[in-house]
Amino acid sequence: MEKIPDQIGYLVLTEDGAVLESGGELENDERVATIITDLITLSNKVDPVGFGPNEPFKKISITYDDHWFVICLSNKKIYVVKRSIQQLTTEGSAINV
Amino acid sequence: MEKDLDKVIEEIMATPNVSGCLVADYQGLCLAATGDVHVDSAGIIVAISEQACKLEPNLKPPTVCLETDKRQCLIQRHGTITGAIYKLKA
Repeated sequence: MEKIPDQIGYLVLTEDGAVLESGGELENDERVATIITDLITLSNKVDPVGFGPNEPFKKISITYDDHWFVICLSNKKIYVVKRSIQQLTTEGSAINV
Repeated sequence: MEKDLDKVIEEIMATPNVSGCLVADYQGLCLAATGDVHVDSAGIIVAISEQACKLEPNLKPPTVCLETDKRQCLIQRHGTITGAIYKLKA
């Protein structure tokens, strides 16, 4: 998990939200773990019309201005990675001017 | 009164690969829904955006994207209004 580019924190959770592994800004972050497991429980109930019953979500992403969280389920574990969004250098210099 | 909202929804639905669109208020009540979207999911969509806001309470509400193999659902909150756009993957 440490090798993921732009990674600034990660969590590996069990299906019931217990932290198995963690690192970076999300080290032992039980608060984020609880919020994310609740979010997954909620997403299971979304729209049977828009998404068929045999169409499970494979990825959830939560995007802020300068970072984003990616959530994936695999092998009965929940993988959460917090990644930074690299601003373009041209944009940065434009703001400085 | 809802002409402006209808116009926005028309514009969204005219975008390529968009299969549905839903707008709800802060209580989870559906304000508008078109395409392959069930009105009943308004409450869940607002609950998801609220839950995502709890991650970083000091920052402005994030965009949440739920992805399946074929489709994605983008949820964004703006003030008291939450919008969801259902898209087919290109």
